[in-house]
Amino acid sequence: SGELYCSLPNPRNVHFESINMKNVLHWSAPEGTGEGVLYKVKYSVYGVGKWIRKPECRNINRTWCDLSNETADYEEQYYASVKAFLNGMCSDWMETARFNPLTDTKIDPPVVNLSSTEKSISIILTAPEKWKRSPDGESVSLLQVYPGLQYNVSVLNKKTKKRWFFSISNNTLVVPWLEPGTAYCVSAQIHVTTPLLHSGFSKEYCIATLKDKTA
Amino acid sequence: EDALLPSPQNISILSTNMRHFLTWSPVTIQGETVRYSVEFQGEYEREYANESWIPICECSLITATVCNITEDISATVAYNLRVRADTGARRSQWGTLKGFFNRITTSLTPPPMKVIADGYHLLVELKDMGPAFQFCVLYWKKGQESRMHWKMVKDVSSTVHLDTMEAGHDYCVKAQTYVETINRSSSFSQTQCVRAQGGRSLRL
Amino acid sequence: SVTEIRSGFTAIKANIQARDPIRTLSILSHPQSLHKVKSSDRCCIIHNLFNFYMDKVFKHCQTEDSYINRKISSIANSFLSIKKKLEQCHNQNKCLCGQESTEKFKQILANYEGLNITSAAIKSLGELDILLDWMEKSR
Repeated sequence: SGELYCSLPNPRNVHFESINMKNVLHWSAPEGTGEGVLYKVKYSVYGVGKWIRKPECRNINRTWCDLSNETADYEEQYYASVKAFLNGMCSDWMETARFNPLTDTKIDPPVVNLSSTEKSISIILTAPEKWKRSPDGESVSLLQVYPGLQYNVSVLNKKTKKRWFFSISNNTLVVPWLEPGTAYCVSAQIHVTTPLLHSGFSKEYCIATLKDKTA
Repeated sequence: EDALLPSPQNISILSTNMRHFLTWSPVTIQGETVRYSVEFQGEYEREYANESWIPICECSLITATVCNITEDISATVAYNLRVRADTGARRSQWGTLKGFFNRITTSLTPPPMKVIADGYHLLVELKDMGPAFQFCVLYWKKGQESRMHWKMVKDVSSTVHLDTMEAGHDYCVKAQTYVETINRSSSFSQTQCVRAQGGRSLRL
Repeated sequence: SVTEIRSGFTAIKANIQARDPIRTLSILSHPQSLHKVKSSDRCCIIHNLFNFYMDKVFKHCQTEDSYINRKISSIANSFLSIKKKLEQCHNQNKCLCGQESTEKFKQILANYEGLNITSAAIKSLGELDILLDWMEKSR
């Protein structure tokens, strides 16, 4: 009857990997299957009655599928599922856990822009943008998604090796009364209180205060 | 099985800085090891779940006479607690804490604090006391006690920057903890003063 | 506090949601999403939902896992302490129920009664983040 014989081992560890709400389904190949395994993907909105096939991920041999477009509404929750095929055999559909884009995404650190004068450094932080459908699509900052978003900023004096820590809600910080001609390195982290989420610290961006002209 | 063992006595709570411990006097039986088990009952269990009791598995058949109940006292409601002794062959009746325990009664101690003057910058180091704690830090230019500034500090993983200081002036700082879930604060720490650059940095 | 409910739920979310095999039905979010509730109806929906969880959900979520049971107790007692605060708001009549919120809550009860009691309770508990996300978003 053309019914495929579903005794192929199942895809493993089917899960979403999400960064800034770019939501990509990942899985591992079934155990013991070499080359040639193909996959199909479907997804569903939790609470809605139907599974929807993802045409761009039909008969693919890679082990990921970008479902960002299909899971862009972060007021909904989702399931996704993968099935493997090889030599006329297939596996069962293997599902993810329930995926909540709002709480299950990881957030990138902010971008740090520095400028300096003789005795101060100015720090401008930019929160990452939520994933968007196309480069010219409307930009939505994660600040709009997480209204309680704050920044933790670390400032290291390279000469004294002393590190100071600031916690700010707006995205600019001016640190005055610094030593002229001194290098300062800044890194920043995003911290959201509800739901509880935080990015890692960004890499360190360094800048030197200008030399004292009178010296 | 008859409850021949005496039930534990002097059951009491030690609660400081949102860490709660149940303690009791040992039950001593010549030649036998006595073990204890602890259960708790929140207001929800009394009003909605047939007064059910919930065992604390970390304190099930333990020989110690103290149990860390912090994880389970996780709401600002009245809790009941009870302990029972057990030698394997025999078991006591439950000994129950006299009166309820509500974490709102925890005692809050002033936070350990170290104030630093780094050039013209006023900094403070505070000890991390757990996710329930924030710190209210007050600072002022010495002599201008009427013009105090304050800063709520949540993340204390490193030296926290308070403000910049005028050259050669003395600045003073004191801090108290604040626990949002019980809406209470500790008393203030000892005031510490330092001097901004442009004069020797003294701890006055 | 809501933060404590959120961390308690995060600790048991995977376990509880794995016990709910029904993908095609939601108690809280379908057919009509909580996010469509007008702000004027918020207080009434929150008040009714807290009573719903206290009266119909937590007590039917007993599991064989003592760690899960302790976390459910923690969440339930946090709910109770918040509910008591909400009661003051409700008693001072600042928590009016419009027709839309009454309809919405009826739909939630209908979704709940469409399942057997244990499945409905476990599903409702597994949807706690839907309630928390909505409460925190529109705070």
